Amino acid sequence: MATQADHSVSHGAVKAQGGRRRWSLSVRMLTAIVVALVFLIPVFWMLLTSVSADGDIFTFPPKLWPAWDWSNYARAWNASPWMKYFSNTVLIAGCVVALTLATSLLAGFAFAVMRFRGRGLMFLVVMSVMMVPQTVLLIPNFIIAQQLGWYDTYLIQIIPWGASVFGIFLLRQFFVTLPRELFEAAELDGASPLRMLFSVAAPLAAPSLVLVGLNSFMGSWNSFVWPYIMTKSDSVRPIEVGLQAFYGTEGTDWTGLCAAVTFTTLPIIVLFLFLQKYFVTGAYGTQGSVRG
Amino acid sequence: MASTSAAHTAVPASQPPAAHKSPVPMRPAFKPSRRKTALTSPVAYLFVFPALAIFTVFTIGPTIYTFVISAFKWNWLNTSQNKFIGLKNYQDLVTGAIDPPFWSTLGTSAYFVVAMVVGGTVISLPLALLLQQASRVFVAARAAVFLAHVTPLVATSIVWVWIFNPRYGLANLVLSWFGIGNIDWLGNSQFAMPAIIIYSLWHEIGFITVIFLGGLATLSGELSEAAKLDGCNAWQEFWHVTFPQLRPFILFVVVISSVSSLQAFTQFFMMTSGGPGFDTATLGFQLYQQAFVFRKTGYAAALAVVLFGITVALSIVQLRSTRSIDTPS
Repeated sequence: MATQADHSVSHGAVKAQGGRRRWSLSVRMLTAIVVALVFLIPVFWMLLTSVSADGDIFTFPPKLWPAWDWSNYARAWNASPWMKYFSNTVLIAGCVVALTLATSLLAGFAFAVMRFRGRGLMFLVVMSVMMVPQTVLLIPNFIIAQQLGWYDTYLIQIIPWGASVFGIFLLRQFFVTLPRELFEAAELDGASPLRMLFSVAAPLAAPSLVLVGLNSFMGSWNSFVWPYIMTKSDSVRPIEVGLQAFYGTEGTDWTGLCAAVTFTTLPIIVLFLFLQKYFVTGAYGTQGSVRG
Repeated sequence: MASTSAAHTAVPASQPPAAHKSPVPMRPAFKPSRRKTALTSPVAYLFVFPALAIFTVFTIGPTIYTFVISAFKWNWLNTSQNKFIGLKNYQDLVTGAIDPPFWSTLGTSAYFVVAMVVGGTVISLPLALLLQQASRVFVAARAAVFLAHVTPLVATSIVWVWIFNPRYGLANLVLSWFGIGNIDWLGNSQFAMPAIIIYSLWHEIGFITVIFLGGLATLSGELSEAAKLDGCNAWQEFWHVTFPQLRPFILFVVVISSVSSLQAFTQFFMMTSGGPGFDTATLGFQLYQQAFVFRKTGYAAALAVVLFGITVALSIVQLRSTRSIDTPS
């Protein structure tokens, strides 16, 4: 009898708990939606302003329904050499990604698979590079860039960013997990280290390579302080520096500014929506190469 | 590996390379076989060279150079006029001889760093707990929160300057719903820093939440089950089961956000230029301003050395925290 009573009590408890859980799930979902909307408000606000009529935004309280004035985009687009900024950015980011992938593959492979004197020490040196903040390097690198004759060139925007601690570390971690027999077999076949790397190891590392490539692409695209200090001509400057210059000259044209922010940021947002998974996985690594 | 390196050190560099490379100690040196040596070939040095060269020229060298510059009265236009002044720049730092005084810069930085670390953790941890389920709504919400982190700082700083516009901005519209009058956010020394903190939190929270989500994914489900069976409510389960397991991740977040907020530059440059006055001139911004605007290169290098010192100290803490993430206790 006692067991029966226990049973019915616990059954009731489970039922009540299930109901409470379903209710709490919908509360959680609602909270999640509200949080998501709050985070998206600035993006909505940007889009709204970018299609508002110029007169409409200078009212308080602001109008929440826009006039759909698309001419802001044309005006903003014609006010600056955006095509040049975009192509500079693509060129710089493309070279940085290619160089980073190459240096990371080579060093990651050597540190993981090959045996050479000083390997441990060299790896320690690479890892310690992570501790140096970029801001600390601005002053000496500005002087070095001028001494090299690299001031105001593509080179100063590409070469210094062509090696990544995150990339080397990630690829090394990956290559270490591969079975040694894989390389020993290739070695017996007389494969050179370079051949081993590119025909055996690199194809297996494709997901890590996407992560490293995306990480350095984002770092390059979003970078501001480095190119701002290291260059002075529009002919070599990337998009974010161009946007800052546009902000400097058109500081009160808010509809045009929001249009410019929209079309300069759109490629990044599209990329994010397509490659979300990699962005989130890469979040741990981005901090190592974060650029202001 | 130890035996290989011992063999390496035992063989002088002048020996034939085949013998030098061999991983098998007893093999006759006169019959070099290319077959088993690929992985011990000195080609390895060529493999690590490009990365090491870049790091040496643009990171390690410049770090040392920063220390050197900080001992000079550096002449911007003519480096042959540089004057060695020893620790004078550091003396100026400590005595606050150069405007804005170093200690007030450090205080401004501390304000920003503490707000970012505390705000970031206090908002992101509950957010991660809320969004940890794999259902579609939560995954979409995660993407929305993380999207902010992906946007370029220059671009979204501009949007937020508009949001904080003293006369027509969205921030003041929201305040007006609560009957609060217009605030000159970025032009008022009391509100400029909070405004930048609000923007920076908007930008960083997605990133910190993802780290906490990663942490939550590693937690043991058994412990939570046991806690539920023992009749723990949700709060007790969080406080006694989840939180202790998350502690290494919290330390990791604290260190990583301290380092990044200490260096933060772009949002200060875009939103206030360190103003009004020097009220938002943090260490990262001061370094730029002293070097590239006021042309006090030597003094700015001394600031950089301080920033470097703090970062290294924090990185050592971080290394420890990463180690405890790898091996959860």
